[in-house]
Amino acid sequence: MSLKLAGITKAFKKEIVLQDVSLDVETGKTLVLFGPSGAGKTVLLRLIAGVIEPDAGTIQIAGRDMEGVEPEDRDVGMAFQNFALFPHMSAEDNIASPLTAQRQSQSEIKSGIQALAKLLKIEHVLGHKPKELSNGQKQRTALARALAGKPGSLLLDDPLRNVDAKLRFEMRLELPRLLKDQNATVIYVTQDYKEAMAFGDQIAVIHEGQVQQIGTPEEIYLTPATTEIARLFGDPVINLMDVAPEARGRMVSVSVSDQPIMLDPGYAEMVGQECVLGVRPEAFRFVEPNSPSAIPVQVETEAPLNEKTVTLVLTAGGREVMVTRPSGTPGPNGGTAHITIDSAATLLFDRASGRLCVPKATIAGEAIA
Amino acid sequence: MQQKSTLEQILRGVALACVIFFFMFPIFWILLMSFQTNETILRVPPSMVFEPTLTNYRSLISGTLEGSTATLEIKFMGNLWNSLFLSVTSVTVGLILGVPAAYAFAKLKFRGSEDIAFTLLSFRFAPPLLVLLPLTIYFQQLGLADTYFGLIWVYQLIVLPLILWIVRGYFEDIPSDIEYAYRIAGHGFWTTFRKIALPLAGPGIAAAGLLAFIFAWNNFIFALVLASADKQPVTVGALAFITAAGINYGQIAAGIMLSIAPTFALALYAQRYLVEGLSLGAVKG
Amino acid sequence: MSTQTTDVPRKSRFKISKRALPYVLSLPALLVCIGILIPFFTAVAYSLQRYRLSQPWAREYNWGANYLNFMTDPSFWNTLKVSMTYAFLTVGIELVLGLGIALLLQQRSRLNNFVSIMLLMPLMTAPALASLMWKLMTNPGFGILSYWATLLGIEDMKWASDPSTAMLTVVIVDVWVYTPFIMILLLAGLRSLPRQPFEAAELDRVPRLFVLWRITLPMLMPFLLTAVLFRVIESIQQFDIIYAMTQGGPGNTLTVFQVEAYLNFFQSTNIGRSAALLMILWVITYILSTIFIKNWLRLRERARGDA
Repeated sequence: MSLKLAGITKAFKKEIVLQDVSLDVETGKTLVLFGPSGAGKTVLLRLIAGVIEPDAGTIQIAGRDMEGVEPEDRDVGMAFQNFALFPHMSAEDNIASPLTAQRQSQSEIKSGIQALAKLLKIEHVLGHKPKELSNGQKQRTALARALAGKPGSLLLDDPLRNVDAKLRFEMRLELPRLLKDQNATVIYVTQDYKEAMAFGDQIAVIHEGQVQQIGTPEEIYLTPATTEIARLFGDPVINLMDVAPEARGRMVSVSVSDQPIMLDPGYAEMVGQECVLGVRPEAFRFVEPNSPSAIPVQVETEAPLNEKTVTLVLTAGGREVMVTRPSGTPGPNGGTAHITIDSAATLLFDRASGRLCVPKATIAGEAIA
Repeated sequence: MQQKSTLEQILRGVALACVIFFFMFPIFWILLMSFQTNETILRVPPSMVFEPTLTNYRSLISGTLEGSTATLEIKFMGNLWNSLFLSVTSVTVGLILGVPAAYAFAKLKFRGSEDIAFTLLSFRFAPPLLVLLPLTIYFQQLGLADTYFGLIWVYQLIVLPLILWIVRGYFEDIPSDIEYAYRIAGHGFWTTFRKIALPLAGPGIAAAGLLAFIFAWNNFIFALVLASADKQPVTVGALAFITAAGINYGQIAAGIMLSIAPTFALALYAQRYLVEGLSLGAVKG
Repeated sequence: MSTQTTDVPRKSRFKISKRALPYVLSLPALLVCIGILIPFFTAVAYSLQRYRLSQPWAREYNWGANYLNFMTDPSFWNTLKVSMTYAFLTVGIELVLGLGIALLLQQRSRLNNFVSIMLLMPLMTAPALASLMWKLMTNPGFGILSYWATLLGIEDMKWASDPSTAMLTVVIVDVWVYTPFIMILLLAGLRSLPRQPFEAAELDRVPRLFVLWRITLPMLMPFLLTAVLFRVIESIQQFDIIYAMTQGGPGNTLTVFQVEAYLNFFQSTNIGRSAALLMILWVITYILSTIFIKNWLRLRERARGDA
């Protein structure tokens, strides 16, 4: 079931929540809607599910226009962030609800529920009411309910938001496989960039009701369309430094702590403009003091983060910079240290608009938002 | 906790005793009267010592009063039946009409819905006679005068606003997502209404029904204006009772006890919802 | 190939368009109420007519004459005065008593809960029947209250049959029935108040009267206002208790608005005057109820928010 949204606009009482949103998801693919809370992601899911109607724009599911089509006739399944389990029904009856709607026989329903429950490890709580379930069990029940009817499209509204860390970790591993088995078109809403990177064939970044960028996870990470997106994707967060590109012969350079950083000559037209240089923490490297273009820094603190080690350093100009290196590799011995920047891995943004500057002639990727 | 002095404890106790006495004594005294014959009732000074008798209740239920001079027919059981029939039917009709409307006002905000809801509410506060007096003339013309149908219709004035506003609150408390989830699972609007909205608002609907019943049962003015003897509920019937010749005071007392017993029982049963109902949903108990 | 394509909605029965749905749901209730709105407009018309059932030939529109006549009509002024007195006395006493009892029962304890449930009983008694009960207790021949009056040295207390004590008697009945209403509303209000200000005051050893006056009562204000307005609106329209007790008598001592209108309509069959009286009552209650509804809505918001 392909899914196509064109020009969707929605306002609640004059407050615009979605503006001219267009998305296209191919059958069987997963699109992640990523963005901060209040960005309009949940509203978008509700529009697709048909429980609210857009002010403008069209929604097509499997090529059919959905205007005036009731939620029950759209062949979608949805898992709500707050689970929205039916409090007066047992977990089993919750999961059975799409099956009874399809008028399946009792035995079909039973076996369908058993299979799902086994898969999601909730067999032992099928008889319980939602209020007797733990958060994790609720989440799995809600997921099972969304999957049970084998809908053509699955809408998952931040399903891992309200579960504990351990379960979230497990589900991050299990869920992609589960979704692949369903062979459904999936729209997955999340605020967690790792989830977005792990689940999405495509990621659509939504901010303030508008689609900021659509692309594969790599595209979003490597060429974020704005400083905002660059900041949202990546942990620790990208280092952003105000710079003013200068011409240096045929090259373009910016200076960071009085050290010139050579950039792609394609940035020539940004010379003299106010810009922001984006450097991912992993694009810094600790070097010997006498290395070329080494920037002297003061080491503030150091902390491990998963398989990386994060160091917070202070440049001579008083700028805080985050540097990561693979754990176990040698780092600074406290006090002062020197770092260099892998200039090929830097990003240049226009400071006024926050948009990514794309060097002429060497357009990287297709991500032009 | 601040230490309460003994004096204060005593004062509190005395105050509480006075309160209980003032509010409970009338019910207690009438209950005593209902087990007495005229002879013991008329004793001066009044006394709480007497031989209890069930004759008052017996004669009310059998419908004949054995007076000293003649046998008197009374229709008290008829009045009781009228009260029951009018209240039950009015509440049933009120629920059938009011629950879907409450849902519309709670969940499907539509143009003018708030204004309409408030107009309905303001009926609750308008002087009933303003509507009743012209209605007597219309009912004559329409042939509705002194019919159960006409009375049940007018009873909606008390029953509907109550049901509408209490049940509306309960519908508002149901998260929309739960209903959406059921729709998305593939069920139509009506199935969702039946399987999700109604069961989840169930306690509210029951409470509104019970309260509406109490209010309908206790109503006096509607039936006084619109009903003749054979359709009168106990509230109006009991009043005629007191002027009936040859009646025993004990029988009046017994009649009152029989008339207030159902509402007392319901109130005890539904007391959790009384506060909410009496304030039309403004205050939760 | 199956004959059914997925493009056809599975069930087309009972499909009502989304736009029409709210109207379909609320229309039956509205229709029933519209049937009740018509008599309201009829009443407006009656109030502008010279209309006596005894003189049907003389029925004609006299426009504002019914209202103008009130200006010089002592029995109208009596009605106004009696109604106001009744409302003022009943609500005033009920407020003081209700607040006192609510404060007395504020602590949640088994005894207090039991007492508050017991106190609901008068409120659940039909007001007309409550009058009847008090009539039995104030009977000059055998009434227990009359007997107690003699013990206090008041001989021959006639209660409702005596113009000087008739008002007192009906007010007592009203207080008996409706004090619990104010009490349970305020009790619910008291118990819903946040605890911190009181705990802070207790730590600072603030005198309890001061706490009551400066913290409790101001915080309770929305509840007080709602309860009082609710009661004033009902009390100024009181009919059941007064009619069941004295039918407005003795004389015209208790001819409040609705009783006077009822008597005008059914006894003197002066329909025009009766309707005009009710219109004036309606204006009074309408003004009060708009103020009331605003308050009530705010409380309701709050109660829903807490849920």
